[in-house]
Amino acid sequence: MGLVEFATSPWGQTVPIHIAFYLIWVAAIGGLAFLIVHAIYVQFFAKKEEFAPSAYPAQAAANVPAKVHRHTLASRLFHWVMSVAMFALLITAFLPRVGFPFDWVTYHWIAGLVLTASIVFHIIHASFWLDFWAIWPDSIDIEDAKRRWSRATGKSAPPPRKFAKYPMENKVYHLAILLSGLSVTLTGLFMMKRVRTPLFTRNPYIFGDMTWGLMYVLHGLAGVGLIGLIMAHVYFALRPEKFAITKSMVFGSVDREHYLEHHDPERWAPTSK
Amino acid sequence: MAIIRDIMPAFELFQPANINDAVSLLDRHGSDAWVLAGGLDSFDWLKDRIKRPKVVVDLSQIAELRGVREVNGGLEIGAMTTLTEVVRHPVVKEKFSILSHGAESAASPQIRNQGTLGGNVSQDARCWYYRGGWKCYRAGGNICFADTPTAINREHAILNAERCVAVNPSDSAPALIALEAQMVIRNVKGERVVNAEDYFVGPAIDITRMTVLQPGDLLTAIRIPATWAGAQFYFEKVRDRQVWDFPLMNVASAMVVNGGNIERIRIAVNAAAATPLRLTAVEDAVRGKARNAATGEMGGKVAVTGAEPLRYNGYKIPLMRNLVKRAISGVEEAKWA
Amino acid sequence: MPAKISPNQPAYRLLGKNYETPDLVAKVTGKAKYAEDYRAEGMLFARLLLSPMPHARVRSIDASAALAMPGVKAILTVDDLPAPADAMTDLGQVIPANKLAERGLTNEPVYQGDPILAVCAVDEYTCAEAIEKIRIDYERLPHVVDPLVTLRPGSPNARVEGNVWLRPVAAPPKPGQPPPPPSAPQVQELKWTDADFAASKDGQLPMGKATDKWEYGDWEAGLKNADLVLDETFVSPNTSHQCLETRTAMAYWQNGKVYLHCSTQSTSQTVPAVARWLHMDASDVIVISEYTGGGFGSKITSSIQCIIPAVLSKKVGAPVMMRISREEEHFIGKARPSIHGRMKVGFTKDGRITAVDMFVLCESGPYDPQGDANQAGRQLSLMYQPPAMRWQGISVLTNTPPRVSQSQPGGFQGIVLMEPILSKAARKLGIDHVAIHRINAPEGKASLGPAAGGKRPYVTSAFIKEALDIGKASFHWDERKARAKRSGTKARGIGVATSCFVGGSVGFDGLFVIKPDGKVYVQSGIGNLGTESVSDCHRVTAEVLGIPWEKVEVTWGHTGRNLPWTCPSGGSQTIHAMTRAAFVAAHDAKDKLQQIAAKDLGGRAEDYEVGGERVYRKGGGGSMSLAQAAKRAIELGGIYDGHEIPKGVNKFTAASAQNLTGQGLLAIARDTMPRDGLTHSYVAGFAEVEVDLETGRYDILDYLAVADVGTVIHPRALGGQILGRSMLGIGHAVGQKWVYDQHYGLPLAKRFHHNKPPTIMEAPTKMAWEAVGLPDPETPIGARGIGEPPVGAGCMAILNALSDALGDDVFRRAPVLADTILASLEAGRPMEEGLTAHI
Repeated sequence: MGLVEFATSPWGQTVPIHIAFYLIWVAAIGGLAFLIVHAIYVQFFAKKEEFAPSAYPAQAAANVPAKVHRHTLASRLFHWVMSVAMFALLITAFLPRVGFPFDWVTYHWIAGLVLTASIVFHIIHASFWLDFWAIWPDSIDIEDAKRRWSRATGKSAPPPRKFAKYPMENKVYHLAILLSGLSVTLTGLFMMKRVRTPLFTRNPYIFGDMTWGLMYVLHGLAGVGLIGLIMAHVYFALRPEKFAITKSMVFGSVDREHYLEHHDPERWAPTSK
Repeated sequence: MAIIRDIMPAFELFQPANINDAVSLLDRHGSDAWVLAGGLDSFDWLKDRIKRPKVVVDLSQIAELRGVREVNGGLEIGAMTTLTEVVRHPVVKEKFSILSHGAESAASPQIRNQGTLGGNVSQDARCWYYRGGWKCYRAGGNICFADTPTAINREHAILNAERCVAVNPSDSAPALIALEAQMVIRNVKGERVVNAEDYFVGPAIDITRMTVLQPGDLLTAIRIPATWAGAQFYFEKVRDRQVWDFPLMNVASAMVVNGGNIERIRIAVNAAAATPLRLTAVEDAVRGKARNAATGEMGGKVAVTGAEPLRYNGYKIPLMRNLVKRAISGVEEAKWA
Repeated sequence: MPAKISPNQPAYRLLGKNYETPDLVAKVTGKAKYAEDYRAEGMLFARLLLSPMPHARVRSIDASAALAMPGVKAILTVDDLPAPADAMTDLGQVIPANKLAERGLTNEPVYQGDPILAVCAVDEYTCAEAIEKIRIDYERLPHVVDPLVTLRPGSPNARVEGNVWLRPVAAPPKPGQPPPPPSAPQVQELKWTDADFAASKDGQLPMGKATDKWEYGDWEAGLKNADLVLDETFVSPNTSHQCLETRTAMAYWQNGKVYLHCSTQSTSQTVPAVARWLHMDASDVIVISEYTGGGFGSKITSSIQCIIPAVLSKKVGAPVMMRISREEEHFIGKARPSIHGRMKVGFTKDGRITAVDMFVLCESGPYDPQGDANQAGRQLSLMYQPPAMRWQGISVLTNTPPRVSQSQPGGFQGIVLMEPILSKAARKLGIDHVAIHRINAPEGKASLGPAAGGKRPYVTSAFIKEALDIGKASFHWDERKARAKRSGTKARGIGVATSCFVGGSVGFDGLFVIKPDGKVYVQSGIGNLGTESVSDCHRVTAEVLGIPWEKVEVTWGHTGRNLPWTCPSGGSQTIHAMTRAAFVAAHDAKDKLQQIAAKDLGGRAEDYEVGGERVYRKGGGGSMSLAQAAKRAIELGGIYDGHEIPKGVNKFTAASAQNLTGQGLLAIARDTMPRDGLTHSYVAGFAEVEVDLETGRYDILDYLAVADVGTVIHPRALGGQILGRSMLGIGHAVGQKWVYDQHYGLPLAKRFHHNKPPTIMEAPTKMAWEAVGLPDPETPIGARGIGEPPVGAGCMAILNALSDALGDDVFRRAPVLADTILASLEAGRPMEEGLTAHI
């Protein structure tokens, strides 16, 4: 049982055509297993999070506004549009494969276009209006990740520092979503040439059988990857200790308490707007 | 693996003697099993080594699947009843002649002697890419070879295409839909009955199947209610060759006319889409109207609303329009004298 | 099947009368044995592995898993097969081999379905399993399946060497010498320019550089001075031969001789072909083919793949049968090449053609140049007698199955290109369709083709005008013409077409023995391909000798049974060539009978007459029975019983005669009788069709073929040929074609159900034939062949009738199906893609 399904091309050549569809279940079960293991770990084994003392003067903390602005309205709208599109895509892609057949193709490519548009918006928005580098792990994040790992595995290490705007997990998650999201949208855009849309003439022959096959495999791998990623995302969003972040994606800001507890004002200057 | 055609590979053959044994075999072997009725569709696949089932369940020994029984003024036709038996049955001829005409237009006399009604409605698409063993959507792949800029698709769909543009080739199906027939399906869990027009599945819903039959399911009978007995019927099939050819399109209508007005009508076409199409919009448009050429023309135009031609099948639009017109208002016969 | 032979035909005792052919009972009872019906002890089976790609190179073959299977005996590849060999003519001239020709198997497949290798095993199931275990590494090469596409700048070529055929022009013959043999054809690359393509309007065939050309008369002036000039493009279809018997073969070896059971049109002629393919001496090749299930030009001397079981049999030391499946037959069974033609034709006001400028592009497949393009021009020049003509041709290679002659090769396409123009001209000029055919029809020793040696060649005779007159009356042409054309949703139309083709060759041998039992034992080297000429020709023997047919025994179908050198049964030669051979052999017997009678009964030989199974003295006196004469022949020996074989007969015949020595009176002779002209036959076809304007489908209501074939030998067989070949042509009109996916270069229509050969339901509701019955003056019996000309007449009478019903510009290629008609009627202009190949 391979990861990829192969077919014989009209010329008798063996070419990949898509991922093996059992990977849907692998991703779903894998995602679920991660949540369970994580939940158990946090509940029973994890030590309380401990941060290195901040260099930020205590008196300055009083100046931190009650609500620290975290996400602009545009960012939040982008996030929710993207998530609706993503759910629509996952549902239309995978439900028919697991025994709930329905007419999915049109919804799928429309949702795909919405996702693509939102991603394009996000890239431009993040590049020119937001702090572009805020979401990328920096050297402190990597250093702190090592410290956390050492401490979790019982070795001695100094406590990690507080976060900048985004915790390390957020940044890693963003990176994973970025890779899988770009894979799935880029391949998906090409795949629209293979179905009937009002946008352009159907022409599956813009690439050869092998190129298409690899593209389908990448689309599929990214797609099932997204099943796991999104399960994890929803899970973390619902976890009580992360709920402040979730709320910030709705209301735009975090409470001062949460901010002071997790974030280093030196790394993320607090503003109310 | 090199390809060779025209020689059947080995498989395990079962010849159950009754329906219960057949459905339990189908249940046991699930998607590994292939249901063999008359064999006209099956042997093409098997001999070309394109479909390679591990197990073939041959229904030819099941007597209870054969024959036409009169039930409450209607008929129950065993799925294994041959097309010839259907064509020749006196009650079919007398009360439901549209079915007799539809079945008689299928294939050739030899094929009708062997081919069954159940097989005719359950047969697979005849798209030449798909039947040629090309790994298309319908074959589990990710492409439709018949809908590309260079594809030859004169026999393909003008309506309801969704990735796959193959059509359903059955000649008896539109007649059964017009007659409001019901399909009786058995599996180990029991029996279920579906309306003829709901028996067929388009590619939007399931691109690899033509019907609602899932592994383990067996079509056992087709019931024709008394509803349309003796109505005015019209059946016509247009094909390249006048025998041994699938339809370019066919049409079937059943109509009750009262005082020159169309009181009730059911109309269906096939080979226009991946499923036989019951034309409810046409039925609604002409119901209550005078049965005349103007109504026929109008019905024809309604029928082709939304039709999208491919490169080589644009002719199917006037063909469908004209056939639907004829199915409503009849043919203007030539008077050469 | 109403039939009529005109009273023109002289009365004979046997000729022109029906009889029971010696193969009849076996055929209708199923006892007839075709190649596939034979079994030999220890016989193994072989199956072919076909190329999945339209053009590729085999880099490597891994057959280890297949060879390791129990029951698998051997694998055969092209490396095991002899290379293409030169051929030798009767005159000893060498015809150099086409080095790119088909060899049966290949390492450079040039079409999907090209056989790569054969697997030999104990049964076909094992062969199939083994084939699926073979791994072949292919290097895919560029492919093209449309002859116009490959002529575009920068387009792919079907072969590495190029995309068009060239045949270097041979030096002119020296005075008094026979013309030199043709040189080997060559392939090179030729692309037309973008300007060539741009110069043609939609649907018109571009006219780039042609590779071949001939002309006669001042065609430019002819077009210039015409009252009407039509410039039309038409495309004829590629059509498989669709023989019901696929080309299965079985072979075994005994004492260094190969015994080959195969399916062939010609019995004797297949021996040298097989010998050449196998690089063997012809005397070591025995061909057995008693019955052949159709050939139509695709099995003239069987097919090269028949050597595969022969070579395998040698390799494994057991008999090997290779059955050919229907799909394989689609590939190696070959097909008629399509022709794209563009014609400029000038007419005077009264319908006479002034000149023809003809440009033809022949899609020749990957292996051979084909003569269809040239023959299209020649036959057209005969059929319509243009006073001036230019012909330009080009033979283009594509990665599609090999082409070969098919009934009326080239002649058919010429008729198909010309008839729509004649029909359109008749409509434009307001001339009756029969009249416009008649005014342009050949008569007597009519010329054809370009001049050779300063003079245009001419035919032996042509009575097509008489055929048109007979047909016009019998078909009630004028009454039909007067009827309404439209009613309800139907349109009716009538059409006429004329057609011609080669109808005979000369120079072959007759051989038979009159034995002491009084019977005549005829040796027939003619193939039994369903035309009945295998026995029909020998009716002449009985006619000349004056013996009842019941006293004639015909031996055929086995070259181990002493058959004479015989014409190939192709190109409708047989009834002409072999009635002549039968005639000369019968006269040889007659001479010998007279001589024996004179020796025994006194007097001179010329005092004696042969008849009533006796040789008797004219005016009364002594006589002896044929039985007695046969006995005396044995006693006399020498020339009488075959101890002396006359010089001049073919060595093949001489070898057979030697084996018959001493059995009775041996009649043996070669046809050296004169003939002035080239023998051609003609058919006029008349059709009426009815079209349903709402569905596009049409019925052929009536069809009449009137044949000018000289003397009718066997009416029933002739009728079978006329109507059968008319159906072949009708198939081209109503449905038969190939379909290719151009992107992958692969066929979509490979089986009967997709290729759509006509069924009985496509046959005209009424169908009849008549024969003009005027003997050809250049052959003693007067008979000409009929296999070819009904095809073009059948096809084009239907399509002309269709144009009559629907008007011009509904279709511009054949076949014409409901989709074309409906789409064009809907749009009011031709809607079918005119030039794309294989749609």
